Amino acid sequence: MERIVLTKAGGSGPQTLDEYRAESGYEALRRALGGDRQGVIDTVIASGLRGRGGAGFPTGQKWSIAAQEEEPTKYLVINGGEDEPGSLKDRFVFENYPHKVLEGVILAGYAIGATEAIFYVNSTYTQAIALLEQAMREATELGFLGERIGGTDYALSARIHPAPQEYVAGEDTAALEVIEGRAALPRVKPPYPTNAGLFGKPTVVNNVETFAYIPAIVRNGAEWFRSQGSEDNPGTMLFTLPGNVRHPGVVELPIGTSLRELIEEHGGGLASGKDVKAVLPGGPSSGFISGKDLDVPMDRKPLFDMGSALGCGVLRIVEEDTSIVDVVDDIAQFFAREQCGQCPACTMETNTFAKITSQMAKSAGNPALLEQIPKIAAFAKGKGQCSLISMPVPPLTSAVRLFPEDFEAHMAPQT
Amino acid sequence: MARSKEIRTCLVCTNIDCANRGSQTILTELQERLQAAGSPVNVKPYLCFGACQDGPNMVLYPEGTWYMGVKESDVPDVAAHILGGEPVARLTERVDPALRDLILDILESGMIDL
Repeated sequence: MERIVLTKAGGSGPQTLDEYRAESGYEALRRALGGDRQGVIDTVIASGLRGRGGAGFPTGQKWSIAAQEEEPTKYLVINGGEDEPGSLKDRFVFENYPHKVLEGVILAGYAIGATEAIFYVNSTYTQAIALLEQAMREATELGFLGERIGGTDYALSARIHPAPQEYVAGEDTAALEVIEGRAALPRVKPPYPTNAGLFGKPTVVNNVETFAYIPAIVRNGAEWFRSQGSEDNPGTMLFTLPGNVRHPGVVELPIGTSLRELIEEHGGGLASGKDVKAVLPGGPSSGFISGKDLDVPMDRKPLFDMGSALGCGVLRIVEEDTSIVDVVDDIAQFFAREQCGQCPACTMETNTFAKITSQMAKSAGNPALLEQIPKIAAFAKGKGQCSLISMPVPPLTSAVRLFPEDFEAHMAPQT
Repeated sequence: MARSKEIRTCLVCTNIDCANRGSQTILTELQERLQAAGSPVNVKPYLCFGACQDGPNMVLYPEGTWYMGVKESDVPDVAAHILGGEPVARLTERVDPALRDLILDILESGMIDL
């Protein structure tokens, strides 16, 4: 495989400007400046790159919509809120490859005609913020940021805005609300940010990791990018391996690598030596994959077909002797706590699920309680302003389907 | 499905939206009024009925009446219904029957002690 994001040969610490330039850093930008902006967008569309924040929307198409808006002020938001439990990859990219992200951002800005780039960074990521500020200063000195970029008449300013520690604050439109100085509450859509986003202007919101692929795609072309991954979802992806494997951390692998290879070869298997009972392959909103199905490719369609999701590639691995009921209860409490309270159906759904799972976890369950889950999910479907309303459903329904014996063991004794 | 006419419990939502609309005061006043009348009906807080926009919400169980937009000034009429009087029609007009059925199913499933 060929790595695209994690290209450092080894050693710790951030990739310096000189190290980045030694691997052709800022070459793509230098070549693109003054050239055809649409050409950059066309290359990204042809590459098939999908956003790495979790939803997997095609990046080039998102850019294309914003680029077509005839509005002199446009914004680019780099979403590094990263409140997905267990996810480390955005911080890892900021802390190790600040210039790579920045070049991707400037290329995106040039392509869509953005006037300002706002780095929306988890407020606890102080090291990442410091490195980003340094990278911005160095890029400005090189003439790649600010006025007359690369001697052209293109200008782009950049700043950092701290992201609060709330799950929903990572939702695109909630992020825009925060940057505008309000609480992290998702907006009603449409309008979509690409048409009317930050301060009502066309805005592209992309995940940090997404930008890190852009320089190499522009430099090497769409076909090169498509040589890894799948037809539907090309390229490589960052995965976060959790604390209970032998080698936890962030790895870059071609999309479509099997879950088994990811856990056993790259994670070294479970540190406890136990068997894998189940995996949440894409964060707390993905359905469980049984330990019997670890050969599934880590890609959108195969995971979707199994009732799960690729998400942003953060794994949670359940060990053989853990009750799935406890894991499900933890997830249900998380969503009940993190929902923003704007949408009545979501408030009811998340609170009721949390109550049902806490009853189950206390071994006070009954079969009628489990029968309510699909009915509540059906009621809530489509009634939320953001996708959080659908998130608690897959882990819960997949757990009941895959591990009925765990739920049976948590039924209240018959009196 | 024909429902029992019995009222054993009155559930008052005290989640954030209903609480902001004064549901805690309504719960306390209703509780005091029923106790004073010697009623055995239990008034309890509830987690969310999914109709925050029309709160404060309360549901009588197992009888099944759902009252929406209850104000402090409505408490005497609601108490009168619980104590054997007529339902308060003006507080039931906006109730979504499908959501009401779902909530009653959830209550019947034994999710909380009633």
